[in-house]
Amino acid sequence: MLDRRTLLVSALAATATFRPRSLLAQQQDALRFYNYNLASAGIGAEATRKMLDAFAGAHPQRAVEGVPVPVSELMGRIQADMVAGIGPDVAQLAFSGLAYARDYLGAVALEDAVPQEELDAHLSGMVANGVRLGQLDGKTYGLAYVFSTPVLFYNADLFRAAGLDPDAPPTNWEEVHAAAIAIHQATGKPGLLTGIFGNTAGDWLFQGVIRSAGGRVLSEDRSTLMFAEPEALEALTILRRLAQTGAYEAVFDFAAIEAMAAGNGGMYLQTSAVQNTLLRGAEGNWELRATTMPSFGDLPVRPTNSGSALVLMTRDPARQRAAWDLMRFLTSDWAYTVITSEIGYLPLRPNAIESEEFLAPWIRENPLILPNLAQLERLEPAMPHAGPNYSQIVQTMVNAAERAVFGPSDDIAPLMADAQRRAQALMPS
Amino acid sequence: MSETTMPFPRRAGLLSAILRQPLAPWLYLAPALVALAVWIYGPLGYALWLSFHEWNMLPFAPIRSVGTLNYERLIDLPEMAQALRNTLWYLLGLLPLTVALPVAAAILTQDLAPRWRNLYRGLIFVPLIIAPVAAAAVWRWLLDPGFGLVNMAIQALGFYPVRFLQSPDLAIWTIVWITGWKLIGFSTLIVSASLANINPALIEAARLDGATEWQVTRRIRLPLLSPVIFLLVLLTILLGAQWSFTYIHVLTQGGPLGSSNNIYYLLWQFGFGSLAAGWASAAGILLFAGFGVVAAGLLWLMNRVTFHDN
Amino acid sequence: MTTKTATGRGWVPHAVMIPLAIVSIFPVWWMFVTSLRPENDIYSSLPWPGSPTLDNYTYAMDSIAVWPMLRNTAIYAVTSTLAQMLTAVLAAWAFVRWRFPLDKLLFALIALTWLVPFQVVMIPNYILVSRLGLVDNLLALLLPNMVSAFAILLLVQSMRSFPTEVIEAAEMDGAGHWRVLWRVVVPNLRAPLAALAILLFISTWNDYFWPLLLTRSENSTVIQIGIQMFLTEEGNQWGPLMAISSLACLPVLAIYIALQRQVIDSFVKAGMR
Repeated sequence: MLDRRTLLVSALAATATFRPRSLLAQQQDALRFYNYNLASAGIGAEATRKMLDAFAGAHPQRAVEGVPVPVSELMGRIQADMVAGIGPDVAQLAFSGLAYARDYLGAVALEDAVPQEELDAHLSGMVANGVRLGQLDGKTYGLAYVFSTPVLFYNADLFRAAGLDPDAPPTNWEEVHAAAIAIHQATGKPGLLTGIFGNTAGDWLFQGVIRSAGGRVLSEDRSTLMFAEPEALEALTILRRLAQTGAYEAVFDFAAIEAMAAGNGGMYLQTSAVQNTLLRGAEGNWELRATTMPSFGDLPVRPTNSGSALVLMTRDPARQRAAWDLMRFLTSDWAYTVITSEIGYLPLRPNAIESEEFLAPWIRENPLILPNLAQLERLEPAMPHAGPNYSQIVQTMVNAAERAVFGPSDDIAPLMADAQRRAQALMPS
Repeated sequence: MSETTMPFPRRAGLLSAILRQPLAPWLYLAPALVALAVWIYGPLGYALWLSFHEWNMLPFAPIRSVGTLNYERLIDLPEMAQALRNTLWYLLGLLPLTVALPVAAAILTQDLAPRWRNLYRGLIFVPLIIAPVAAAAVWRWLLDPGFGLVNMAIQALGFYPVRFLQSPDLAIWTIVWITGWKLIGFSTLIVSASLANINPALIEAARLDGATEWQVTRRIRLPLLSPVIFLLVLLTILLGAQWSFTYIHVLTQGGPLGSSNNIYYLLWQFGFGSLAAGWASAAGILLFAGFGVVAAGLLWLMNRVTFHDN
Repeated sequence: MTTKTATGRGWVPHAVMIPLAIVSIFPVWWMFVTSLRPENDIYSSLPWPGSPTLDNYTYAMDSIAVWPMLRNTAIYAVTSTLAQMLTAVLAAWAFVRWRFPLDKLLFALIALTWLVPFQVVMIPNYILVSRLGLVDNLLALLLPNMVSAFAILLLVQSMRSFPTEVIEAAEMDGAGHWRVLWRVVVPNLRAPLAALAILLFISTWNDYFWPLLLTRSENSTVIQIGIQMFLTEEGNQWGPLMAISSLACLPVLAIYIALQRQVIDSFVKAGMR
């Protein structure tokens, strides 16, 4: 017991002065790249390994260790490893964690680590809307990497079974409502599924829905939560009405993806990243189509992004240099060809999209990507919440919204107001 | 026999006891104690300290002393009442599977021919062996509303498919069932062991006196099983929430609408699931203290009410 | 025993136990069956594989480092079980053989560790093993899992029921407590030790959250993480998932089937009360 206490005391003393990395870490000179695509078997991991292998071929002097970390464990793991002195040099982080990474994990802005002209040259080749997503207060903390937008997938066979025209998919929530009910009544299957709620959903899609309804989840200066304002309540009420007809089912996460893939869902509003899974399920069984996110009446649709950025974590200039090479490589025309055609994320380089050498032939064969590309122009950043309790804020907000849509009570305003009050109390003051 | 070689010296004052047996038991205990101090109690003490601070443990981040704020935030969660209620449902739901059914199975198999007895007990033990993650995956597959075998059978009988894991009314019971399914065989073995230790002469005598099987069970076996039954109840109450954890984590993450959340998973979501050391530590300390109090109460009760055969 | 006298309810035990046994076994059977189905037949409801194939196994093995994972899991489970048994035998002997100051308190402290949620100690322990330079090392898995409170409690229980006279007689013959422990007590505790070893082995083999935290590469992790890698956010690959689950369960299942009789017997004889 005494032993442990002395150990703790010395451990605390050791951490009191900041040392960028321990002796041990300096000896291992491979760049540590924390990646969540590597943590699940399948196309994402294979494509990522392929890119890392290619990088190793192109830069033999720069060794990279790809560390697989499941997305749900990512932030905690980075933090624990940094405390232990073996933190990542580059990490693939969801945009929602970007502010936290800057404020609490010491993420480095590219402007502070990379020669400005190199940075400008690289960023100018990328979709401007995408680049903007990785910026906080004018500095680039995340290099937009794998990326997707919300897409309304639909099952053309179920549309036809319900007497609907699959060539004229719904464009606003009213039409979604009507189509969902028609499908539900004709086939007994859920007319609509979404990835708005659920425990792996986060709040990116929720933010997009609220933005499209003319509201905001968080004020522009990121200081005030606004998800209980009338616009947000309006959006939730529309979803609630649909839920009460039985046509919009409270099936989330894996279960929703699987139901859709098995042909048991009419429409599915979800990240374009699930496209390959849906395609695999649809092949030979039913016809998968996709359209853009529905609007609220005449209001403009504001699709938000889901996905991740590459974040520079190391403070050692030599390692920053190597990390920058890796980051550039992973967001090159060639890399986006792999990322888009093999995993299904969006290509963020216009040149890769247009060039015959890269994606153009593939896009002609895979028109499903088109709604996704169209939305790239109008993309809104999902705003990262502030402070050390950002993930609890998201949790509180989304739990309340889920209850507002699927819960027993029609009186949703007090429910949302209460959640907003509690979440606001968790914001940094 | 001299005083000093007595195998079990009675306590006669702290000082003389120390003088009489200075070192040996401590040496035997050393490996276990050192390991527990380093890997359990050290971190626990650290967690206690962290629970009164807001700090993400990083050297360059500020450490802020926040008093009991972390605890207040956790207790203030609106999901707390539901999670506590669900924890109770979990316990009530698990008791038939971890206590009642195993007691019945053990008693029913006790008098079978050894071949049958071993076969049955052997088969129902198998779920314990299966990795929890694998068990969760298989049950999700079997219960899927679209293509799961169980639902295909339900549809073949002319009913609508049942959304075992997606319905707020059913998800909790599905998790209870999967948790219990893993443990029926194990509990049965523990009860069987206790059953085998009952003096057969007692039962023979009762039967010779014309006691029916039910009377033998009711009057002799169940009373003599009361300590083991109480032990199983105790384990279920104290650890049931932890046993369900992996299944909740893999299958429902507490949903839908928090309907399958229990206290343990809720605190995980708000504490360990994210990265705030203060929340996480406060959550852990709350769990430890809460279940510690429950354990103390139950042990006190156990000493008062169970029936011993010696 | 008393089989013959229990005539009145001959069919009742079977009527209860046969369904219970089926419910216990069927999901495991289904896991193996599904793992052997070809991809286009994966949703079949035949209770056996129509045209069995090992495709899912080859796919799983191509996707992740199955063999190193199985090897690591085996090393971890065996060493951890042995360490937990050893520390428990020694600690239990101290409590049973001696009365000493603070013994009740220490015993309570050991028992209480059972109630410490793993998630509380997880992060500090992770930091400690990292500081010891053990990341990516099997020792990191093992170190925090060398003592089991459950094992100590169980062995104290078993040793207490061991007749005191035998120990006294041995010590009268001049044997020291070390010798008595290993020559007299332990050999007579074979049944509870065997039962304990099995339980500890199963639980370390199936350990999931601690290895999940430690995983840095596929080659240095355990098979449970392999299963987790097939549970993806974008939907499951059921065939390979069932194949890797089967692979993770097979070794333990094989050991269990080989030793089934002894396992059941040792539990009954262990007299866990």
